[in-house]
Amino acid sequence: MATRWPASFVVGASVFGAVVVAALLGPHIAPFPYDGIDIMARFLPPDATHWLGTDEFGRDVFSRLLYGGRLSLLMGIGATSVSLVVGVPLGLAAGYYGGKVDETIMRTIDLVISVPPILMGILILSMTPPNPWKTAIAVGIIYVPIMVRLTRGVTLELASEEFVLAARARGERAWYILGAEILPNAWPPIIVESALRVTFAIMLGAALSFLGLGVHPPASDWGLMIAESRPFIDSAPWVALAPGFVLCVTVIAVNLMGDGLREMLDPRLKRGRG
Amino acid sequence: MSQPVLRLARLCVDYPAGDGWLGALEDVSFEVGAGRALGVVGESGSGKSTTALAVLGLLAPEARIAGGDILFKGASLFALPDAERRALRGNRISIVFQDPFASLNPSIPVGRQIAEPLALHKGLSDGAAGEEVRRLLAEVGIANPQQVALAYPHQLSGGMKQRALIATALACSPDLLVLDEPTTALDVTIEAQILDLLEKLRRDRGLSMLYITHNLGVVARICDDVCVLYAGRVVETGSAESVLRQPRHPYTKGLLASLPRVAERKHRLAPIPGRFPDLSAPPSGCIFHPRCHFAVDRCKTEPQVLDKDVRCWRAEELADAAWQAPAEQVDDAPVRVPAADGTPPLVNVDALTKEFRLGGMFNSSRVQAVDGVTLRVAPGEVLGLVGESGCGKSTLGRMLIGLIEPSAGTIGIDGGSQKENRRNAQIIFQNPDSSLNPRKTVEAIVGRPLVLHGLASGGDLRKRVVELLEMVRLSPAYLARYPHQLSGGEKQRVGIARAIATSPKFIVCDEAVSALDVSVQAYVLNVLADLRDRLNVAYLFISHDLSVIAHIADRIAVMYRGAIVEEGPVDDVLGPPFHPYTEALLSAIPDVERGSGVQRIRLRGDAVESGRHVRGCRFQHRCPRKIGAICESETPPVIEPSPGHRIACHIPLGN
Repeated sequence: MATRWPASFVVGASVFGAVVVAALLGPHIAPFPYDGIDIMARFLPPDATHWLGTDEFGRDVFSRLLYGGRLSLLMGIGATSVSLVVGVPLGLAAGYYGGKVDETIMRTIDLVISVPPILMGILILSMTPPNPWKTAIAVGIIYVPIMVRLTRGVTLELASEEFVLAARARGERAWYILGAEILPNAWPPIIVESALRVTFAIMLGAALSFLGLGVHPPASDWGLMIAESRPFIDSAPWVALAPGFVLCVTVIAVNLMGDGLREMLDPRLKRGRG
Repeated sequence: MSQPVLRLARLCVDYPAGDGWLGALEDVSFEVGAGRALGVVGESGSGKSTTALAVLGLLAPEARIAGGDILFKGASLFALPDAERRALRGNRISIVFQDPFASLNPSIPVGRQIAEPLALHKGLSDGAAGEEVRRLLAEVGIANPQQVALAYPHQLSGGMKQRALIATALACSPDLLVLDEPTTALDVTIEAQILDLLEKLRRDRGLSMLYITHNLGVVARICDDVCVLYAGRVVETGSAESVLRQPRHPYTKGLLASLPRVAERKHRLAPIPGRFPDLSAPPSGCIFHPRCHFAVDRCKTEPQVLDKDVRCWRAEELADAAWQAPAEQVDDAPVRVPAADGTPPLVNVDALTKEFRLGGMFNSSRVQAVDGVTLRVAPGEVLGLVGESGCGKSTLGRMLIGLIEPSAGTIGIDGGSQKENRRNAQIIFQNPDSSLNPRKTVEAIVGRPLVLHGLASGGDLRKRVVELLEMVRLSPAYLARYPHQLSGGEKQRVGIARAIATSPKFIVCDEAVSALDVSVQAYVLNVLADLRDRLNVAYLFISHDLSVIAHIADRIAVMYRGAIVEEGPVDDVLGPPFHPYTEALLSAIPDVERGSGVQRIRLRGDAVESGRHVRGCRFQHRCPRKIGAICESETPPVIEPSPGHRIACHIPLGN
C-alpha cells in the first residue's frame, strides 16, 4: 500500500533536515572561526564579507550561527528525548497501575516540580564540571514531570476504554497492553508536546549557559547568542535577529513534522480507504 | 381546524461535508396542532435532533437552511430578526434535552437556574421568581421544592434533575415544548414517572409537544401523531395509533419487526439489513431501497415523494405484507440443542461479594456493590441479568471474567483455573466506539486472541479470522478496515468475533446491544442467538432492557441494589407471582402494543445507589406493596412458587 506522506511532514522534515545538515557541516563551511575576535570590526552590519554582520567582539554572526547549530540541536532534541524516554514509561505506569505505583511516581514528580527549573538546572549541573551533554540531560530531567503528567492523563482515560478491558479479559500481559493498546493511542498529545518542548529546551539551555552552566563562551549556541545580544538589540539588531530567525524556522519545522507524524499514525486521517 | 402551533414546510437543512453539502433534512414537513403531541421517530442519523435544533434556531453555525420554512403560529421563524427569535426561545418555545446529567450547570443552585428564564423573559424580581420556582417544582412532582431549589445539581438524582429541567422549560408557560430524547438517559422506572408527568402536564396546561425519540414504545405511550424520519426524509406520518398498528412504509414495518417485545416473544427478530446511507452521496431513487425487502427495479431509479402521508409508491399494494428477515439470516439459522437434564452447571457463583471503598484517605466509606450473589449457568444457557443503573450488574459481570477481584465468594467456570478461564470466559462490551482499538485493523483485533493463546499462526491465522468474521456475518473485505470505517453494528460484530475467537464456553454480554439502533440491535441479537446455538456457548446477558432480556434469555435474574431479588425461567419471571420490583419494571416498559390506559404500578422516589447494608428488605424504600414493619426489620425469605423460580419477598404467595 503506497502511503502518501502528509504535506506538513514533507515540508517540516525537509527544512529540519537542511538545518541539521548545516549544523553538522557548520565547522567546515563557516567562513570565519566562531571565536575570531576583531575589535576593529565590532557591530558591522551585514555586508559581502560578513553576511550576517558581526557582534560586540567583531565575531562573524553567520559563522557563529553555523557552529552554534550543533549545540542548540543537541540541547533541543537531546533534552526532549531524555524527557520522553524517562517520562512516557513513568506516565504509562502511573496511569495504568494506579494506587501505590501512581502515588509514588506522582509524589516524586511533585517534588521535582516544586523546585524552580533554573534552580533545578543549577542543582544538577553545579555538582560536576559543565558540559553541553550534561546540560541537555539536565534540561530533559526538568521536563520529565510534564511528560509524566501528560502521559498519565491520557493513559488514565484510555485504561478504562473497553478495548483495554477486553485485552485484560483475554489475559494480555501489562507490557503488551501498555505498548500495543494504550501507547499507539496516546501518541498524538505526546508528539505535539514534544515538538513544543524542543523549543523550550533550546531556550532553557541558553538560560543555563548564560549562568555559566552549559555552553561556555566563547563557544556559540543560538539561545546563548540571543541572550548575549540583548543589550545591543537597539543598535545592532542583526546580532539577535539572525539566531532568532533560525530558531524560529527550526521550531516551526519541528512542529510541522510533529503534526505530520500525528496524521500518519492516525488511521482515521489517512487518505484512501482500505 | 385551528391554526397549528408549529408547521415545518418542506424544510431542508444541509451540513458542509468535504467539498459539498450533506442533506441532513430533505423536504421535511409536519404539523403540531394546538394541544397535540407529535412524536418524531428515527434512528441515529435520521435528522431528528437537527429538526429539534432547527425549530429552536440553535443549529450549528456551519449548517445551512437550503429551503423551506418553519412557521410558529403561522409566522415564519426565518423572517424574524434575531432579537425576536431570541425572545421566543425559552419563552414561547422551550426545550428539554436528553442528558439531565449534563444540562444543568453544576456550580449554580437548581432554583436559580430555573429562575433564569423568568428573570430574562418576564423580568420577575428575585423574590417573585423564587416563589414561582417553588410552584413550578411542586408542579413537576418534587415533594420538597423549598429544599430542592437550594440544592446543587450533584445533590439530585437523574430523575429529579430531569424534573427540574422540565420545570425550567415550563417556567414561561410556553406554547410549544420540544423534548429531545428526554428519558433516554434514565432508568425505566424513572422514565415511566417522567412520562406520567409529561402526560399530566399536557392535560393540565394544554401544552403542544414535539417529542423527539428513537423509542417507538414511548411514542405509543405519549404521542397523538407520529412522523417517521429516515435519512433526513419523512417516510411516513399519521396518527400514532395507525402508524404503529398498521405501518405502511417498509421502513416503519422493519422498525416494528426489529423490536423485541415482552408481550409477544418471537423466536427470531426480523432486522433491517444493510447500513445507513452516506448522505453526502445518497443512493439514487428511493433512499431506502438498498435496505428494503420489497425493493424492485423501479425503486432504484424513481425518487419517492410523500404521497398520502407515506413515501413509497408500493405502499398500497403492500398494505398487508409483513417485513421479512433477510434471507441469509433465515436459511442457515442453526437449530438449538437443549442441554440434557442433569448436566452439571457450567458457571458456579457462590455468595459473591464486592465491596468498594469510597472517599479519600481519611474518611472513606464502604459500599457493597454486589452482595452475596449466588448464580448457576448451564452450558449453552442464556441467563438474563436485569436491573437499573448502579445496581451492581456490571460489577458482577466483570468479576466473572476476572476484570475485578471479588471481596468474598467463589467463581467456578467449568472447574477451570484462572488461566484457563481467560480462554473459556469472555466478554462483549456495550460501547462499539470504545471496544475496538482505533489504531488496529479488524484482522489484528480479531486475530490477537488467537496469537496470544497460540491457537493459530501463519497462514492459518488469516483463515481462522475469516471464519470468525463469517460467523458474525462480515465478509473478508473487512479484514483490512479500521474501526472508524465501520458502522456501529459492524463494530459490535467485530467485538463479538474477538470474544468468540478462543472458543469460550461462557460469554458475559454487558449491555451488548444497548448502544445500538433498534434495527441493528435486532441483527446483533440474531447473530448472538445463532452463535449460542452453533457453539453451544452460555451467556450472562446483562441489560437494563427487560424486552431484550425476555427475547434472548432462558432464565432471568432480577438484580436490585447488589442482590438478586427474583430468579427463574423467563415465563415464570414475566408472569405472576412477581417480586414487587419485577412487577414495577414490567409495568414501566413503554410498550408499542399497550399504549396508554393500562393500570400502572409506579415506584416511589428514585433509585438509591447500592450502598451500606440496610436492615430488612433492600427494596423497602420504594416498594409499592410494602406490608409493614417486617419489611424494615427482617431480611426477606426466599420463596419458591415453582421449581427454579425464586423470589425474595415477605409477601406470602397467593397475594
